[in-house]
Amino acid sequence: MAESVLELEHVSASVADHVRVDDLSLSVQRGEAVALVGSDASGKGLALKLCAGLEMPTSGTVRVLGVDPSQASEEEFLHLRQRVGFVFDKPALVSNLSVFNNVALPLRYHTALPESEIQDRVIARLRECGVDALRDRFPAELTLGDARLVAMARARVLDTEILFIDELLLGLDAEGLVRVRGLVEGYRKAGALTVVVTINAPTALFGLMDRLVLLRDGHMVAACPPVEASRVDDPMVLDFFRFH
Amino acid sequence: MIAWTGRKTVEGVAYAADVLYLSYLAFKGFLSPARRGRGEAFRVITRQILFTGVDALPVVGVIALILGLLIIIQAGTTLPHVGAGAFLAKIIVLTVVRELGPLITAFIVVWRSGTAMCTELGNMRVGQEIAALEAMGINLVRFLVMPRLIGAIVAVICLTIYFDVVAILGGFLVAKVKLTIPVAVYLTEIEKSLSVADVLITVIKGGLFGLVIAVICCHHGLSVVGATTEVPQQATKAMLSTVTACLVLDIIVSISFYL
Repeated sequence: MAESVLELEHVSASVADHVRVDDLSLSVQRGEAVALVGSDASGKGLALKLCAGLEMPTSGTVRVLGVDPSQASEEEFLHLRQRVGFVFDKPALVSNLSVFNNVALPLRYHTALPESEIQDRVIARLRECGVDALRDRFPAELTLGDARLVAMARARVLDTEILFIDELLLGLDAEGLVRVRGLVEGYRKAGALTVVVTINAPTALFGLMDRLVLLRDGHMVAACPPVEASRVDDPMVLDFFRFH
Repeated sequence: MIAWTGRKTVEGVAYAADVLYLSYLAFKGFLSPARRGRGEAFRVITRQILFTGVDALPVVGVIALILGLLIIIQAGTTLPHVGAGAFLAKIIVLTVVRELGPLITAFIVVWRSGTAMCTELGNMRVGQEIAALEAMGINLVRFLVMPRLIGAIVAVICLTIYFDVVAILGGFLVAKVKLTIPVAVYLTEIEKSLSVADVLITVIKGGLFGLVIAVICCHHGLSVVGATTEVPQQATKAMLSTVTACLVLDIIVSISFYL
């Protein structure tokens, strides 16, 4: 039986007045790829942050890699953060550091690895994401798509066990989509990495996912394999897939 | 009116408590034996000293020279008329070393580096860079605040001493064109007038001003919630609060040492 690496039980939370998640329950197994799908105000971004332990629920429990972030000690929480990678909708690269130094930052901060080892690991991650040629550039010199690929490399550089990506499609052109497809396929083949993403529009990348979790107004409408998603009997889902 | 006064007092106390707590966390981070992040923090400290200290040398030098020149001209031309020409060196030590040197240096650093710190951190908040650092398990105080604080303290102390030296020597050399005092006599008088306490005061004030500049500006930068328009607002608040704090600290230190 596969190990559950992420569990949400009746989780509710809200930020500002208009974004909320209500009574969300979800379990994700190790190596699984799951997409939280919905329109812009569906609460999927907040749900992703709850899954990653970056927001705390007002009720219900979240367990990430066996740790409840709201109950964890500082040391446990810090350890958890090194096992989980998160890519924000904005690339969020440190603007005064080069691409190389951005990706090297978690390694330099959390480990005592020699600089030669850090260099090898950073280059390997940049190459994996297809952005190794940009290593000396600064974030302001990158396109949104390239910056997000660099952010993915940074989120993976500590060999994280779960990768969360907010708005997977944001800023990607056709070439970027092909790269992301290759990346996710590579992660799937390796099997050890769990991928949880949010997506706000129908895409061919649905085919890479094991499950789609469809959200509307903070509620989970359905959780099913991609091939069944368009047949869910819900007006939002029917609208969502109408042009697909 | 009473309610307004009460509300403002509570806000002021809460603000001071926040700033003091941030200072405590920053020093705790500096003294912590944990190796995590030490190398990165050292890199930021070096950059901060370079930006706040080394890059500010020309502007501090020019202002110190002008101020020193003005004080020496005014004192050097007025004091002999009232039979107090012998007090020229004393007056310069009193005004430059004890008071104006640390204060003017602090004001230059606030305008130049304090606002830069505040806007940099504010923009990092808006761009989700700070959220990303937190998501990577990077301690914000250890990575962002502590290095700026240590860098600012070192830079302001060095700049204050540099200011004093340029104001006293440079000002005199320029003023020498109009004054008749020999350089050797002037230097001897300065040496006699300058006590260890004066040097200590200038260093203590420099260190304290560096601390409040960094902590208050970082506090305001990190207080930005999410809108770009908040960044200049917080920068303005940071400037006003820092200048006020420097003046209050200046009075407290001067009273403590000289009264």
